[in-house]
Amino acid sequence: MDQGIDLQQTFIQSLMDLGLPAGAAKTVWMPLPMLLMIIGATVGVLVSVWLERKISAAVQQRVGPEFIGPLGVLAPVADGLKLIFKEDTVPAKADPLLFTLGPVIVVIPVFLSYLIVPFGQNLIVTNVGMGVFVWIALSSVVPIGLLMSGYASNNKYALLGGLRAAAQSISYEIPLALAVMAIVLMSNSLSTIDIVNQQSGYGILGWNIWRQPIGFVVFWIAALAECERIPFDLPEAEEELVAGYQTEYSGMKFALFYLGSYVNLVLSALMVAVLYLGGWELPIPTALIANWLGVSETNAWLEIVGASLGITMTLLKAYFLVFTAILLRWTVPRVRIDQLLNLGWKFLLPISLVNLLITAALKTAFPGAFGG
Amino acid sequence: MLKFLKQVGDYAKETVQAAKYIGQGLAVTFDHMQRRPVTVQYPYEKLIPSERFRGRIHFEFDKCISCEVCVRVCPIYLPVVDWEFNPATKKKQLSHYSIDFGVCIFCGNCVEYCPTNCLSMTEEYELAVYDRHELNYDSVALGRLPYKVTDDPMVTALREFLYLPKGVMEPHNLPADARRAGQRPEEILAQDVAQDLAQEEK
Repeated sequence: MDQGIDLQQTFIQSLMDLGLPAGAAKTVWMPLPMLLMIIGATVGVLVSVWLERKISAAVQQRVGPEFIGPLGVLAPVADGLKLIFKEDTVPAKADPLLFTLGPVIVVIPVFLSYLIVPFGQNLIVTNVGMGVFVWIALSSVVPIGLLMSGYASNNKYALLGGLRAAAQSISYEIPLALAVMAIVLMSNSLSTIDIVNQQSGYGILGWNIWRQPIGFVVFWIAALAECERIPFDLPEAEEELVAGYQTEYSGMKFALFYLGSYVNLVLSALMVAVLYLGGWELPIPTALIANWLGVSETNAWLEIVGASLGITMTLLKAYFLVFTAILLRWTVPRVRIDQLLNLGWKFLLPISLVNLLITAALKTAFPGAFGG
Repeated sequence: MLKFLKQVGDYAKETVQAAKYIGQGLAVTFDHMQRRPVTVQYPYEKLIPSERFRGRIHFEFDKCISCEVCVRVCPIYLPVVDWEFNPATKKKQLSHYSIDFGVCIFCGNCVEYCPTNCLSMTEEYELAVYDRHELNYDSVALGRLPYKVTDDPMVTALREFLYLPKGVMEPHNLPADARRAGQRPEEILAQDVAQDLAQEEK
């Protein structure tokens, strides 16, 4: 596998050519991808909020936001601005410190998880060897924040919502982790880059979804439950709990929850794209395209086109999954809390365990096809 | 062992069935996405009110005989009829008439019972004002001709569902002479008259 374009090396090298010491050059580089990722994640949220509103409207045969910018694209911006200018209230008998800390603890891990989302061979903030494990570890910090804000609100509904959120996140993290484990078993690495590389070479046929169909379904269901989207939005079930742990929140603190939930949705969709749908890989292998065009795979312009196509492919796959999540929202009714826990513990957990066992067996039997 | 396997098999069957039903549901919601929105884009598009619509009440001053039937049939005795007996003509002389639409429930009793048909229902329903006392219409305001959706050049007038031709679900881009499903009132009337005539001849 060739390395492709490496922006980091080129950038640092050019700074060093200007006379900067190596350490300083690296320090100048470091905040750039992080900032880019935060901006990217926020823009991704705006896009998915807009999509949510437009697709929801289309499903219900409405028009949706129309006059706030062309086709209503500025509607999520208007939402955000409104939330920024709203009064930031803290209930009289709430714990102000925990109340403020709650949404922060919910949002930060979600944004941090973008560290390990790859958009190309070198288009990643940092290629941690522990890749997916970092994501799973970070996502288990979120329920602490939810519980914290639910408890600090000094409100029955908020407390119930927080408890439900914690129960739900904890029970769905296990099938999620087991589904990821089967993938890791096949690619012999936790690094997201290695996972995508293991799927490359055969275009659409090489993607993990064909080798892990059960894992894919389990992962997507568990990811939706982690994001607290409808069939699984029990923590904020408005008919029962007003708004769950968000009940007492307004203004910027509410905006953090709102932002966090959508960032989490996009992140989960990106992770599904990376783990099961071949990440930045095109449905047709790049080597084949290079062959058809009669150019070398290391051709400069082909690599630039390939890198931008790779980013587009990752986003396309992720937004296709966001679309299915939105469609599911208007198709499936909310489950009860007992059904939710039954589904998690009695269905997804055994199925993902069996899936892991089968993957291990297949790996020993056919090391060629299932990553030796 | 067999019993356990059967349980597993049944469970798997149920799972497949559930997946199938979710798939069917997704197909329905996906299909709805390509349909034209059913919503009326209000200030730009408006529905034509039906012929029995009970909107703002129109009042013809000159027809009124100040009998106060409208007041007596009104659930809250709302119309204010201000008259004076004119000894010269030996008739009641109407000086003012008013209805407060902030209080009116648009039941239409006054229109129903008016002996001279000086009250009538219009299709006007946009009565929003900044001060509720502005809704207290006097005889001049009551005598104004109603606003008609079809006469407004800024508004696309849309027919209600009931007034669409048979099988048509979409009020947009209808030809102006498209006939609604079923018979029109004047046709039903003509039919009745013809029937009555035939019976009389017998």
